[in-house]
Amino acid sequence: MKSLAKLIAGELKRLIKYNILPVSLVTAIIWIVLFLFLSKEEAFELAPILIFVDVSAMSILLLGASHHLEKQEGTIRTMMVMPISLWQIITAKNVSSMILALESVLVTSVALYLIHGVTFNYILLLIFVAIAGAAHAAIGFALSLRSRDFTAMLGKLVGYMFIFTIPSILFSIGVIDEKYEWLLMLSPSHSASHLITSALTGEFKLVMTIAACAYLAVLSGVLFKFEVHPRFKDNAARG
Amino acid sequence: MGAAFNVENLCFKYPSSKENVIKGITFDVHEGEIFGLLGPSGAGKSTTQKILIKLLENYTGSIKYFGKDLKTINNSFYEEIGVGFEMPVHFSKLTALENMKYFAGFYKKTADIQELMERVGLWEYRDVKVAEFSKGMKVRLNFVRAMLNNPRVLFLDEVTNGLDPKNARIIKDMIAEYRAKGGTVFLTTHLMNDVEQLCDRVAFCVNGKLMEISTPRDLKIKYGKREVKVEYRDNGTISSASFPLDGIGDNEEFLKLLKSGKVETIHSGETSLEEIFIIVTGVELK
Repeated sequence: MKSLAKLIAGELKRLIKYNILPVSLVTAIIWIVLFLFLSKEEAFELAPILIFVDVSAMSILLLGASHHLEKQEGTIRTMMVMPISLWQIITAKNVSSMILALESVLVTSVALYLIHGVTFNYILLLIFVAIAGAAHAAIGFALSLRSRDFTAMLGKLVGYMFIFTIPSILFSIGVIDEKYEWLLMLSPSHSASHLITSALTGEFKLVMTIAACAYLAVLSGVLFKFEVHPRFKDNAARG
Repeated sequence: MGAAFNVENLCFKYPSSKENVIKGITFDVHEGEIFGLLGPSGAGKSTTQKILIKLLENYTGSIKYFGKDLKTINNSFYEEIGVGFEMPVHFSKLTALENMKYFAGFYKKTADIQELMERVGLWEYRDVKVAEFSKGMKVRLNFVRAMLNNPRVLFLDEVTNGLDPKNARIIKDMIAEYRAKGGTVFLTTHLMNDVEQLCDRVAFCVNGKLMEISTPRDLKIKYGKREVKVEYRDNGTISSASFPLDGIGDNEEFLKLLKSGKVETIHSGETSLEEIFIIVTGVELK
């Protein structure tokens, strides 16, 4: 536990030193500015999409950037020859990615409250963001570990978004009919989007929400155990 | 002295490769010695080192670390070893001291960071970000990183590559002092100067197999000629003559040349490690 705490502290320090957290904050501030020009209803409709983009695409992007930078610097390799377990390293990185997502949720929530007086179930949102964030961190790792460099990873991310994220956004704005929602739930992006929208609007389709939670939790477990963990060490060894 | 590592019939294949990269190698690394693994690029040196430091695991054969099966040893193994990679391994946006303190924080016992950094001439640059370091400074910081936990066994890969002679000397002196205190070193390099000055024993790795394991001295004798080459000045021109070592004390011609006072240099016929490298590996050093 002591090592894990040190690893997480190190990850957080680097989020600041490598300007990842400040960049994420600037992005969140752009959303705040946007809320100033929107009506309460428009802001409330847009908020789930913004949080969803931060939790899914932005998380994958920032995790990929950080992973490839560390790979380039050789620090992953040196971490692998220290008295810490691979699970501790992966958990610390997952936590730092989660903190980025939560920071964005926090800024958006505060902005919505201060500008439009909008409140919602914050606890539920945090739980759902944690579940969706873990799944997308696993997806981010999986894409990074299968890419030679950051550019290749960006290519894979675009492919992922085209298949999984864009249909979900199209659903959110009403382009895709509601009768396809169960099919869309197979997309991690849509499951995440469903959870975030539910927490913000307070409108639950109980079975679908439980299914989304279970699906994302199982997906995280499977990806971390069978894809991320074995590839991480191999990736570090090969350099 | 016991063995730090007993390696027997080690074979390894990368999932993507068709054939074994390491093809049944057997060797020991004695406790308290500097063992050099030499060979051309792609010969299997780095792969062997990665297996010994548990970065690669799916090998066949047996590796014992101080008598224990390496596969059964957990992460506590890393409390005892130090690894100096050839390429820099630091967070570039953190300062040198921040890097060292961060890494040191994970070990139960640590060396004196200030003492190590002072010794390699980096203490005055401790608050400089590693991104601003020259290649040589990063190499020296790599060495400090490897020594941070007072390791029992030190793995070094091309440890002086990119260093000027003065700093290379400092690092080599520190390695020699470490060995004198009982430390064991596993060195992979293509720099024969380092090998000559440091290694107690060397092994030549070629195409995944070990071709020779011996002391540098014995290898020089084995591959050299048992003769003495004398250069002397004769009527203003430099001439040379070779004499067999056997019975040289009774060799009249040799003794006469010595007494003539014209001798300028005398060399025994032992060959250099560089020449042995070329003979054994079939690859010229660049």
